[in-house]
Amino acid sequence: MKVDFDDSMVEKNKGQRQAVKIAIYVLLSFLVLVYIVPLLWIVMSAMKPNSQFKSAPWSLPTGMEFGNFIFAWTKGHLGNAMFNSFVVSTCTLLISLAVGSMAAFAIAKLRWKMSKLALTYFMIGMMIPIHCVLFSLYTQFARWGLTNSLLGLIIPYVAFSLPITIYIMAGFFESIPNELFEAAVIDGCSVPKLFFTVGLPLAKTGFMVTGLMSFVNNWNELLFAMVFISDDERKTLPVSLTKFVGPHSTNYTQMFAGIVIAVIPTIIVYCIFANQIVEGLTAGAVKG
Amino acid sequence: MDKLLRKKSNIILFLAPAFVIFSAVLIVPIITAFYYSLCDYKLNSAPTFVGLKNYITIFTDDPDMKIAFKNSIFFMIFSIISQLFFGLILAALLTNIKRGRDFFKNVYYLPCVLSSAALGLLWYFVFHPKYGVNKIMENLGMLENANEGTLWLSDTSGFIILPIIVISFVALWQYVGQSMMLYMAQISGISKDIYEAAAIDGCSRTQAFFRITLPLIKPMMATAMSLNAIGSLKFFDLIFSMIPEAMRGKGGKANVIATVIYDQGLRFNKYGYACAVGMVLLLMCLIVTFLINKFVKVESYE
Amino acid sequence: MKMKRVLGLAMTAIMSFTALAGCGKTDGGASGGVQEVTFMVWDDLETTEDLISKGYKDSIERFNKDYEGKYHAKVVSTNLEEYYTKLNAEIQAGNCPDVFIVSPGANLNDYVLKDKTDKPIAKKLDEYLNADGWKATFTSDAVFAGGTYGDEATQGAGIYAIPLNIAAACVFYNTEMFEKAGAAVPTTYSELLDACQKLKDSGVTPITISAGTAWCLSMVAGYLCDRNGLNLADVKDHKTDWKDAKVINAAKQIQELSQYFQPTAESDDNDIATAAFYDGEAAILIQGSWAIGQINGSCEPGFEKKVGVFAFPAVDGSSADPNRVIAKSDSIAMSADSKNPEAAVALMKYFVDDTAQKYTAEQGGKIPVTKVQYDENVAPPELSYVMNVFKSANATFGFYNESLVDSEAGSTFDSCFVDIFKGTDPATALDPIQKYYEDNVWK
Repeated sequence: MKVDFDDSMVEKNKGQRQAVKIAIYVLLSFLVLVYIVPLLWIVMSAMKPNSQFKSAPWSLPTGMEFGNFIFAWTKGHLGNAMFNSFVVSTCTLLISLAVGSMAAFAIAKLRWKMSKLALTYFMIGMMIPIHCVLFSLYTQFARWGLTNSLLGLIIPYVAFSLPITIYIMAGFFESIPNELFEAAVIDGCSVPKLFFTVGLPLAKTGFMVTGLMSFVNNWNELLFAMVFISDDERKTLPVSLTKFVGPHSTNYTQMFAGIVIAVIPTIIVYCIFANQIVEGLTAGAVKG
Repeated sequence: MDKLLRKKSNIILFLAPAFVIFSAVLIVPIITAFYYSLCDYKLNSAPTFVGLKNYITIFTDDPDMKIAFKNSIFFMIFSIISQLFFGLILAALLTNIKRGRDFFKNVYYLPCVLSSAALGLLWYFVFHPKYGVNKIMENLGMLENANEGTLWLSDTSGFIILPIIVISFVALWQYVGQSMMLYMAQISGISKDIYEAAAIDGCSRTQAFFRITLPLIKPMMATAMSLNAIGSLKFFDLIFSMIPEAMRGKGGKANVIATVIYDQGLRFNKYGYACAVGMVLLLMCLIVTFLINKFVKVESYE
Repeated sequence: MKMKRVLGLAMTAIMSFTALAGCGKTDGGASGGVQEVTFMVWDDLETTEDLISKGYKDSIERFNKDYEGKYHAKVVSTNLEEYYTKLNAEIQAGNCPDVFIVSPGANLNDYVLKDKTDKPIAKKLDEYLNADGWKATFTSDAVFAGGTYGDEATQGAGIYAIPLNIAAACVFYNTEMFEKAGAAVPTTYSELLDACQKLKDSGVTPITISAGTAWCLSMVAGYLCDRNGLNLADVKDHKTDWKDAKVINAAKQIQELSQYFQPTAESDDNDIATAAFYDGEAAILIQGSWAIGQINGSCEPGFEKKVGVFAFPAVDGSSADPNRVIAKSDSIAMSADSKNPEAAVALMKYFVDDTAQKYTAEQGGKIPVTKVQYDENVAPPELSYVMNVFKSANATFGFYNESLVDSEAGSTFDSCFVDIFKGTDPATALDPIQKYYEDNVWK
């Protein structure tokens, strides 16, 4: 699907073209610096002792100092927290993908009058200010005995992931030509089978996009995780990180080390899925 | 075929799980929140119905809300326009180059997957006069003393104060990748033949962008703009971690709607009032999304 | 086919939830007759560097050891910023922790006063205090002042919170810098200005303060209001208002003093501002005596020898008592719904027993609340200075932002003074707090 202008378009002036091209690359590379330098700065600062950070925040670290990382990892129980975050994010991802893609399929491909309305209904979920529902949800979950457990966190996360999942997946299903379904129906396919054999394989890339979005959102979520979980053993990563931002703590470099540790898994997941994402979005955007 | 896809039992089967979870966890509490917004609701007490009192206070008698409306609306307009502009430019540039396209795209999208609370802390230090940009300017000799440079996150002069502008740019930095991706996806989806035909007709590339690309990606513009609008109206994380507490708390000049909800609901235990502000926020999101979809998405590409 | 596997995984995940949810419920119940009490605190007791928090950890460990098989205390911790959010969520859900830490004043009001809550949240503690002579172990009845309520309280007049330690807000100064600048320890406001000018001339930042964390600046504002003779009770009863000449005067003094603040005061949060003093960049830090714990916990060795302490100066020409000290105590309260009140009381006693209080003074550098004998030679030297300030005080008063009618009023007061500090005309800048009282208090 890549558009290759260089071969397909007639241009008059080759030299001018080259100059424009160089200008574009310079601009893009400059932007890369704008993106990468601040992120490298955290990594660099995390490798410094606190006193050096205070006196010379932009200097290079004197050596590869991993003391801050070790402190953050052991004292903050980040290993355990990372496991919890992983369980919560993965379960949420699987459930919201399963449930969300089914709903998206119903909205995009099944034929009923209120399908547009249903999509709008789910869209409202994106607009809900979470501070308003926090307490009533917590009270309700306490009644159901779901507080202080990872399950109690997964359920709201699934609900919050659904709108964007349904929205994007519906777009994907819509982009699949109806003829493909019709052919399958003529062959005697039932609707669930249609979903599994025709819909899902063609919307595979959509899973990548929504999956990554839902995973990183839930990996980074703080407010619900903080209110819903009390036990140290069940705290997720963002909550455990707040330990380093204590009332009287000024140890910034340890805090940076914690942040770096927390960010690494999302970067790994991102590197794995990044290229599929655009392909996914591209495929999703193509209309029959 | 048609009959099969119209079968009620299938629709229910596919829709029910999402509908049940979504309604139970989000819609029921938001309906309760609407009821609370009509009440005085204190900690550990039963709500007492007061009618529209909270709403009247929001619009007539709350100086914090005046500031919050101003900042949030500025923030929304800035986000919509700047993300549209830069998102489109980046997408156009990236679809026009061959080498390194994936690399650039992945770098620009990267902040979208990082936690905004963590990034907020990073930017807090970058804009803190003692550690960040001022220090760099001092090292470069542009400033005599970093401490006496601009107070990026606490200057309160002007109608739109500097911290809000700084935050707007940080938000642009963080989220422009998202808009870029959406536009890129749509642009890549446009058939090559159209451009070829245009080129043969003597259409330059710039002309092609305005005459072909822009009209064809209008539906995606509506989508991206709606997402920006909703995201910026609800904006909280960066403000919370970057702005000094005195500026985003009660009476602060850098309040936005979400920080008022946080303060009133979670710090001062006035849930009724916080819920009313939340309802206003929800309504604003609905109106803006409606307007965008009405005026931007006039016709879609077939 | 791949997707089927994904769905299969999802099903497995759903199955495993039941297990997850299951382990969520195993604790909390009485296992083997052990009564469990939850204790909620605003600092992570494992990672903290704060010596006072480390003391809490020690008390809990001793309690769990001594009562093994009978009682067990479970700690729930959050960071300070989110503490009341989490606590209020638990209360709202009917899970109020058995014992929780709380600041007396506006925050405690939320859990006690009738107009703040229909059902009492904190329990009245008089019957426990009066039993076994527990109350007699405390220094005086005055230490309970912050937790004592009159008839307005739901369950009648009494004590609703027990203090764990007292911190007095004092002026810490770098003796070395004072000497170099030839500045003398000030006893009046004009002498303070004089000392600051000398310090400034000698090339150091005279005062480091945080206006980014509003209560820091408002602590100084509170002192100035008090030294100018403002009486908060009069304001509450509308005998005077926030445009009183005394407040205006205090506001002008803040503006006058601000020329001696570090240039980044507006942006600095409390951590950064105090660090400037600890790192030897500024000469004066106006701070609660919890700073002692930090000086001894995280500063360069030897720094504590350079630190001196004096009381906040008097305002020239004011008739107000200059020997009043801002004091703040961390307190603990008990849930009114606690299922194991005996265990909860037993736990509370461990925070104020001799070991804990000795630790409070000798290690934490805070003023103990009981009559415990501690070794003054072990205790940080600054504590004795603070004790001197504290002992010569005729009366104490609370932080203004915690002493007003509620936490919202406190925040409003804070932000008014941040505005004043930034140069807004005092009479205009005080409008918000005046209006808040007109709308909510003086009706």
